[in-house]
Amino acid sequence: MSSTSQKHKDFVAEPMGEKTVMALAGIGEVLGKRLEEKGFDKAYVVLGQFLVLKKDEELFRDWLKDTCGANVKQQGDCYGCLKEWCDAFL
Amino acid sequence: MSLSSKSAQEISELLDEYGIKHGPVVDSTRSLYEKKLKEAMAKEKRAKPSPDKTYYREEEQVTYVYKTPVRSDSSGDSGAYMRARPEWAEREYEHETSNSRYSRSRPEYKGRDFVDEPYMYDSPDTYKHSYLKSAAPMKSSESAPKAAKSSPLIPLWVQFVFFLAMAVFLYLVFTNMETNESLKGIE
Repeated sequence: MSSTSQKHKDFVAEPMGEKTVMALAGIGEVLGKRLEEKGFDKAYVVLGQFLVLKKDEELFRDWLKDTCGANVKQQGDCYGCLKEWCDAFL
Repeated sequence: MSLSSKSAQEISELLDEYGIKHGPVVDSTRSLYEKKLKEAMAKEKRAKPSPDKTYYREEEQVTYVYKTPVRSDSSGDSGAYMRARPEWAEREYEHETSNSRYSRSRPEYKGRDFVDEPYMYDSPDTYKHSYLKSAAPMKSSESAPKAAKSSPLIPLWVQFVFFLAMAVFLYLVFTNMETNESLKGIE
């Protein structure tokens, strides 16, 4: 059982609806702003990107790094969060 | 060859050619895939003119043992990895010389086994203790001369030897446990 943050648990517990991109685990103020500037202003848009990348971990991590400069831990947290959400709700 | 002028279909085909797993090439994923293709193309170009010498090391042990220390100094992270390789090549060379030593120590090992047999049925504990006593100086004497020759890093083959010794020991302990019922001197 890996250790997940409260943010992760909160996100995975319910449908994301209109949550902002900063509700995603691993995405804070700075990264959230950068994503919004690129047009990813809601969590579901990032979800869309995650799905278009076929839920592949490596591709998603690379994309996140290129788009907002997330480090390895942040990439992992965001990927894990979205993956688990998909497993539960998709 | 400018990737940005290619159609989405062409990008998709190129990704397949390089064996890169990918999803649909849409606006949001295009730049990522173009970057991946660029990296893959650059890697291929680099790989062609200078083949990896590590693959040849097994064939030509003697010559590359001397060359690689020079090479590993120049590179950063890969230096640590490559430093481990000449050791590996060295130990193959050494292994042949140390083989005679190894085989000589084996009969000693077997001799002690037979000596301990009469004590074996008294209790498993004493056997274990005598076994450990015989095994411990064996291992230390074996590892000491070998460790002295090798570099500060523990070479892989020493670990293998140790692992094998542990496996043999555990096997013998296990087989002895089966004869427990026949022991009378438990009390």
